[in-house]
Amino acid sequence: MMGNTHMNDSFVYVTYIYTTPQKVWDAITKPEFAHLYWMHTNVSDWKKGSRWEHRHGDGSGKVLIDGTVLESDPPRRLVITWTRPDHSQAPSRVTFDIADYSGGLVCLTVTHDQLAHDQAMASSIAGGWPKVLSNLKSLLETGRAENIWLTKNKEG
Amino acid sequence: MDMAGSSFIYVTYIRAPQQTVWDALTKQEFQKMYWFGGHQESDWKAGSPWKMYMPAHGLTDSGEIVESDPPNRVVIKWRNEFRPQLKEEGYSRCVMELATEDDLTKLSITHTMDKENSQLVQAVSGGWPRILSSLKTFLETGAAHPDTRGAAEQKK
Repeated sequence: MMGNTHMNDSFVYVTYIYTTPQKVWDAITKPEFAHLYWMHTNVSDWKKGSRWEHRHGDGSGKVLIDGTVLESDPPRRLVITWTRPDHSQAPSRVTFDIADYSGGLVCLTVTHDQLAHDQAMASSIAGGWPKVLSNLKSLLETGRAENIWLTKNKEG
Repeated sequence: MDMAGSSFIYVTYIRAPQQTVWDALTKQEFQKMYWFGGHQESDWKAGSPWKMYMPAHGLTDSGEIVESDPPNRVVIKWRNEFRPQLKEEGYSRCVMELATEDDLTKLSITHTMDKENSQLVQAVSGGWPRILSSLKTFLETGAAHPDTRGAAEQKK
């Protein structure tokens, strides 16, 4: 995150991963893949204009976040709106940019913006994205991920 | 957060003990493995000098350890020394914080400058994600990203 006066309008996270753009795309868009490191799933046909749902991975299928696919260019770029399921706030927006980088690396940039009106969401996602994207990198590079939403130290 | 300044914040979770992450950040033989072949000279005690050297440029950055609480926290007063327009900005402040969360170490870097649109903060905003991605890979797999290893390492 880099900012000057409006710190919480947007959140940007860049990570470099030993993998292929297609694997990163699949990890975001295929429910069984996302479940391995995000613990939740993302469900859609990922076509422009389609609805997408971020569903709880506990089997309940509870919708945690939903939205609309604004742009879809597999495996390079995905832009979605990000809405609380009760629609109590206007949506924010998430952009995934997936680029080849030198040395067999993929540069993944996640930009979560249009957050100025929802500071609670801005705070929540600033904590969440580093956990999710660190776990994604571990999974793709080592085959192993952690249950990132269970913290024994804090919640017993 | 000082609204008149510039800041870069990055959080990553690494599957390694906190002491190992601390050692990787502060010991030269580890730094050379993933920090573009560069290394830092300091005894990492509050009030001590701190200097960074890169193979292609020699001394690149220097300053002082402001606070040190191994293996939890270190604060560096940090000035660029080899790019005149960055050196002119004066001292930035880099806070590295480590915390153990289950089997992971949470590493947070907050690099700030009391100046809007800081070029130094812009420069480190590009560097930190590459360095910290490579550090994570190095500690989780045993080998850093090729593009961040030193020249001698790359030839192997």
